[in-house]
Amino acid sequence: MIRKIIAIAKQDAREGLYYRFDLLLYICNFMIQIAVYVFIWLAIYNQGNQILGMSFEQVTTYYILVVSLDPIIGWGINEILGEAIRDGQVLRELLHPISFFSYYFGIRIGELVEAGIVGIITFLLCAILFGIVLPQSLFHFCAFLVVIVLSIIVIYFFEMILSMSAFYTNSVWGIEILKRAIISIFSGMIAPLTLFPEWVQKIANFLPFQECIYTPINIYFGELSNIEILQTIIKQGIWITVLYLLAKFIFHKAIKNITINGG
Amino acid sequence: MIRNIRIYFSFLGASLKKMLEYRVDCLVGMVSQIAFQLIELIFIWIIFQNTDNIGGWNFTQLLLLYGVMMLSVAVTDLLFDATYDIGNRFIRKGKFDTILLRPVNPLISVLGESQTSTALGYIILSFILIVFTLMKLNITITLFLIIKILYFGILGGIIIGGFQTIFSISGFWTYKSNEVVWSVFQLHKLAEYPIEIYNKFIRVLITMILPFACVSYFPTLNYLGSSKGKIAYIAPVVAIIVWFIAIKVWNFALNKYRSTGN
Repeated sequence: MIRKIIAIAKQDAREGLYYRFDLLLYICNFMIQIAVYVFIWLAIYNQGNQILGMSFEQVTTYYILVVSLDPIIGWGINEILGEAIRDGQVLRELLHPISFFSYYFGIRIGELVEAGIVGIITFLLCAILFGIVLPQSLFHFCAFLVVIVLSIIVIYFFEMILSMSAFYTNSVWGIEILKRAIISIFSGMIAPLTLFPEWVQKIANFLPFQECIYTPINIYFGELSNIEILQTIIKQGIWITVLYLLAKFIFHKAIKNITINGG
Repeated sequence: MIRNIRIYFSFLGASLKKMLEYRVDCLVGMVSQIAFQLIELIFIWIIFQNTDNIGGWNFTQLLLLYGVMMLSVAVTDLLFDATYDIGNRFIRKGKFDTILLRPVNPLISVLGESQTSTALGYIILSFILIVFTLMKLNITITLFLIIKILYFGILGGIIIGGFQTIFSISGFWTYKSNEVVWSVFQLHKLAEYPIEIYNKFIRVLITMILPFACVSYFPTLNYLGSSKGKIAYIAPVVAIIVWFIAIKVWNFALNKYRSTGN
């Protein structure tokens, strides 16, 4: 099964990498986003404000990481799956000799190749251009990567659940934006979560999204103890199980009374 | 010219009606677009938890600047959304050939296919934001001011639409114009914040080369009654120049067009 997933991932990645010029544009775009953040925070720091004991270099690093992680976390299968449901292609996919979930996981990994290239190049270019704080230690950097890999899986099942609504609403694009709004607010993508009101932090602590951005970056800075890192990983494990079961449940319900345009 | 504009609006009307057919889609689209705007507003709010001004602009003024930009962006979305689709929807799928056969300028046909009815909600929202922030800044809302807001809002939308049209021609070669147009569009983010905070390079970029500052920054200063706000009055000239280039470039690309053959 893993061989099948890899084969699908390869195929998808090859398709994505065919449009190399697009990758360049994405990188330019992300650099613009980072520039906006950096200049805003620079203006704030120049007035002598200090934010939560973070140095300006740390804030810069925070936003460089946020934007570089954005494609890795955010470019999911939502649109592809939604479109497939909408135009009836999903019907063919249901007949594939590979389970529906594995098939799309393959596609997700294929996307990840593209996103990874964009993210890493953006990160390196901005690191040179704006300067960054290096990770606390090699161990912290590895933990940072582990947490991110786990969040990709969490987000995958989350997307699966959201995309299923395409069986009912037909509005793929709206759901994509809704997903982005939820993730942006509760992951710390907008700003470090400690800058948010208490109640937002409480919700974020419960939801699995802060492990996408906020927690890994804090691990990168070495702000979390080893036990806290372990707790994070356990929390992610629980969320993966819960979301997986939920996605399966909704999927089986949805395909029972499926209506597909032109299917 | 007048005829072309009339045809454009009748096309646009038809495609908007097509869009409104899907009520639920439309509603979901609108709600999520508002949610998306909220994200940026939350960011601005968070910033001002830590400082009382950036580049000399306070919270309300920044919201105003943001609203001014949003209004123009919404107008662009409403009128020129199809620039995103020239590559995918028209050229790659062969639909462009049917457009060429129509006795109408192809650019008009393409732009008339814009279908973001969700932008309507957006326009209303940003207009409310502008008026609300102006009132909070103790600026009397006169009829003249409202006309000015609408005038600069629409003009700004036309300027951004012009940029998008220029860069949409990449679709003639790549059969995939959305990413390029989107990248140019994204530059408007720079002009959502006062240009004082940027370094020279970015300032020159958004005032001279791609004058997004004429869309948001200068009109905002104008509403606030600053003397620098007079620069906003060159916006129509900018719009004409941008569209002059856009039409030239578009016609050049059109001559190079080769059907994908399906």
